[in-house]
Amino acid sequence: MIARPGLMTRLRRNPISLAVALLVVLIVVNALLQRNFFKPGIMLSNLTTFLPLMMIAVGQAFVVKGGSIDLSLGAIVSLVNVVVVVIAERVGGTGGVFMGMAAGVAAGLACGLVNGILIAGVRLQAIMTTFATSIVIGGLALRVLPQAGGALPAAYYITYGGWVVGLPFVLIVLGVLVGAIGWVGRSAFHTHLTAVGANRQGAYQTGLPVARIRIMSHVIAGGMAAVAALWIPGVTGAGDPLMGQAFTLGSVSAVVLGGIALSGGWGYVLGAVLGGAILGFINNIIFFANIPYQFQSIVQGVIILLALAAGIFVSRKPG
Amino acid sequence: MTDVMSRTRVLLAENPVLAIVIGTLLMLAADEAIAPGFASARQISGQLTVAAILGIVAAGQGLVILSGREGIDLSVASVMSLAALTVGNVMGGDNALTLPALGVSLAVGVSARMFNGLGVAVLRIPPLVMTLRTAGVITGLLVVLTQGQTSGAASPLLQGFIGQPFLLGLPGILWVWVVLIAGIHLMLTSTRFGFNLYAVGSNDLAAELSGVRVRWTRIVTYGLSGLFSGFGGFCLLGYTGTVSVGASEQYILPSVIAVVIGRAWSWW
Amino acid sequence: MTNLALSASGITKRFGALVAVEDCAFDLARGEVHALLGSNGCGKSTLCKVMAGTLAADAGTVLLDGHPTTFRGPLDARRGGIATVYQELSLIPTLTVAANIALGTEPAGRLGTVDRAALRTRAEALIGSVGALAAGLDPDALVGDLPIDRQQIVEILKALAMAPRVILFDESTSSLDRAQVDAFFALVRRLQSETVSIIFISHRMQEIFAIADRVTVMRNGTRVGKRVTAETTRDDLVSLMVGGRHERGTRVRRDNDAAAVLQLQALGGGRLSGITVALRPGEVLGLGGLHGQGRSEFLLSLFGAFPVTSGQMMLAGQPHAPRGPNDAIRAGLAYVSGDRGRAGALHGRPILENMALATLSRRGGFLARRGALAEGLTGLIDRLKLKFGKLSHPIGTLSGGNQQKAILGRALAAGPRVLLLDDPTKGIDVRAKEDLYALIRELGAQGAAVILYSSEDHELLENADRVLVFNGGQVVEELSGDRLTEFDLYSAALRSAA
Repeated sequence: MIARPGLMTRLRRNPISLAVALLVVLIVVNALLQRNFFKPGIMLSNLTTFLPLMMIAVGQAFVVKGGSIDLSLGAIVSLVNVVVVVIAERVGGTGGVFMGMAAGVAAGLACGLVNGILIAGVRLQAIMTTFATSIVIGGLALRVLPQAGGALPAAYYITYGGWVVGLPFVLIVLGVLVGAIGWVGRSAFHTHLTAVGANRQGAYQTGLPVARIRIMSHVIAGGMAAVAALWIPGVTGAGDPLMGQAFTLGSVSAVVLGGIALSGGWGYVLGAVLGGAILGFINNIIFFANIPYQFQSIVQGVIILLALAAGIFVSRKPG
Repeated sequence: MTDVMSRTRVLLAENPVLAIVIGTLLMLAADEAIAPGFASARQISGQLTVAAILGIVAAGQGLVILSGREGIDLSVASVMSLAALTVGNVMGGDNALTLPALGVSLAVGVSARMFNGLGVAVLRIPPLVMTLRTAGVITGLLVVLTQGQTSGAASPLLQGFIGQPFLLGLPGILWVWVVLIAGIHLMLTSTRFGFNLYAVGSNDLAAELSGVRVRWTRIVTYGLSGLFSGFGGFCLLGYTGTVSVGASEQYILPSVIAVVIGRAWSWW
Repeated sequence: MTNLALSASGITKRFGALVAVEDCAFDLARGEVHALLGSNGCGKSTLCKVMAGTLAADAGTVLLDGHPTTFRGPLDARRGGIATVYQELSLIPTLTVAANIALGTEPAGRLGTVDRAALRTRAEALIGSVGALAAGLDPDALVGDLPIDRQQIVEILKALAMAPRVILFDESTSSLDRAQVDAFFALVRRLQSETVSIIFISHRMQEIFAIADRVTVMRNGTRVGKRVTAETTRDDLVSLMVGGRHERGTRVRRDNDAAAVLQLQALGGGRLSGITVALRPGEVLGLGGLHGQGRSEFLLSLFGAFPVTSGQMMLAGQPHAPRGPNDAIRAGLAYVSGDRGRAGALHGRPILENMALATLSRRGGFLARRGALAEGLTGLIDRLKLKFGKLSHPIGTLSGGNQQKAILGRALAAGPRVLLLDDPTKGIDVRAKEDLYALIRELGAQGAAVILYSSEDHELLENADRVLVFNGGQVVEELSGDRLTEFDLYSAALRSAA
């Protein structure tokens, strides 16, 4: 008989345990620096700020699990953001807002579809392809709205910051996100995506529709980036064609911090949510530690590198 | 038909340089068709100066990609900026300090590369993430160092070498590039290091078992790519005269694309 | 109603200008074990893929139970009742055994999720149903954590999961040890009794004679003969395969009293312990035993690629303590692995680079001139009978056997004093094997010493002067002279097994 591995081995093997540990440490540090950290209002406002990156990271997680990568997610966020704002303004009223949101999500899905077809259908290399599409998509965003501006009706961000059926809207969204991840995680699609990411040839021999699964993962990522983009004017109240850029690197980092292997086929999608929160808390800590503005990006970069190193050092992919 | 295609493919696969030359000529022809006058001698010479700087950085990038294991360096642009900035301040427009400044630029390139190599080889951070993060840290450093102002100045000697005709009407940088490319080509095809580098990139376990010191080969490769980034920054300073943050952002993507085009052609 | 489970006729398949299979026929009776034999590159894999529905033929028909097949892909074929156990495993290392077995056919639970309980029950039932072969296999273990032989067994279970009527086993026994092969054969016989029809591909002759009812031999993309196993001989089959008379090499063992080139004193490290042996020039020393008893580690520890923690090594009278393969090669050792995909071939690189690498490491220096290297290899290439287009073509243009010859050539070109062979003939055809062993014997005659590990007992017995039998990291027996028999080897390997 084969002996079951011990608790420590299982913890080390579990791709998510390090993210949990990091998160606990960061929350403690953050709470020490930020006096009123545990007040509900502050926690909700933190969550509101973190959510877009969490969503994009979840999209990135699906792509990475399937053995690909998408460096155009930030650009998709920019495009969707300006599409929503511009259409909502032109059409006007509540109808305009909904029309803009629908158009935005459709644009995000379409971008994902194009990426997926180029990578899984035409078989171009993922890093290059999405790097290139990110330029095209970013260019489109500038075309739609050359400068930051525009505004959505106040009802838009009031809803985002408000309460629905007795619960904060942010919490509901987070709940739906986690629930959806849990549901997809138990689906056959998720198993097949893992298979494609870990051993594409084997997945093909087994008879899985490899190309369709890979395209699907990019469509999901485009969709998640779009949903995240809907969230952002809810926070900032305006459109900005350049706002998405930081999200690309952030989503890749969040995925790696969440214990998902960039080589594909290993890790929990939920880890990306934790990874997004980790990055958010790091930013918070840097802000509240009173680090001078010009040093912030250096400190942030170094902390994230250390966190990445810890994560990759501790956990190992089997096989 | 397929026969001709497959034979062409073999020919190009055996002579990647030929493939790239053909590709470049086709591009020039296309540019000339789209915008008449594009392929004029002066235009091409100017294009070539920029291409030479890009080519030097891309050569370093190419070596890293060749060494395998998803090797890629997305921090080349920020390293170039850092090198250019340091060098510009060391040189301060003084011809006599041109050569010492060259040494400084190479040192900056190599140490930045070593930092990346440390993260990738020892801490095992994926190169894509590591080098992008390093780029962020270096850019942050640049902001601190320059306070957002342009600073430093290239010596007239350097500016002349990069920008003015040096031999046969072509700027000196171009000749340096030609010599470098020839050197790299010889190194890859006719030295033991070249054989070892290809072997490591192709299958590092098999290479190790055939007596190649894999780790050492990778370290030397990273060092070389750092030299090229640093030298690229040195040339960039000569081209622009002075340096501001983000001056070399435009070199990240092309350096990768240049290599991928080169590789893709040689694979097919 | 026909008695044939599967019948193919007139199958032709081209890849560009290359004709892989031409006008080939094959028939498989119900409940039959039918071996498919042929040298590497003879087209048997292509024929199998056509029959299994993963490749569309250019011409010809495949009848399954008398009806023409029209599979649209691998899953379609599996649903249609044909399962293939691939040589290159189709398993997902990051999924559990149970998830791998059910991949693509997961039992549906509520709301489009997978019913995990049913998934596990299914796997447990399957594991229980195959007897000794899968004993102790944990359905929740990750496949990537299993050793390669256990992974092969999971691959077999995966094929059985859809209750197929026809199963193709493509070299499924090549990574199994002897006891596992016996258990596998027991399973095959049970399937046979349930009128499942089996196509069995193996390069091991004794396995074919042990299990197959009939044998089809292929050469150059077509069928050259069909035999009833009970009415044929090994030599008959080999001559069909290679298309001519075949002389069986008989080894002349010479007395050897030269001074030892390699001397080991109580060598230990990892699970190896107390290995003492003296290797003389011109000697072929075999390493025998069951799978996973430390033979590969032993070879690697001599080569500086596995830590030695105790004991002493002397090479040609000098202390030998390599810090890595580079040291070992410069001291005059060379190592060849049979796992050419992982540890041998430099994929995508020219044959020349593949063959010159170890020579360069041994010689050192700065330059590597292609012309001179190619010239230095010509004699060796002739002796290897290497079939290739140009030395500048990538190694992937060679057939499997020729790739392995090139990798052996890499080691030989460095002119080693001691050659370490780690299952060097794994998965290559009979003809290439004979070429390799002829060359190894020639090398011995020239004074080099060889340490040979082979997973095929008869190769050890035919080629080694002595055999050290390993068990649990120790040498438990040394066989030589009259005791070099299959019986002695097997019983020595089993006797002191824990």
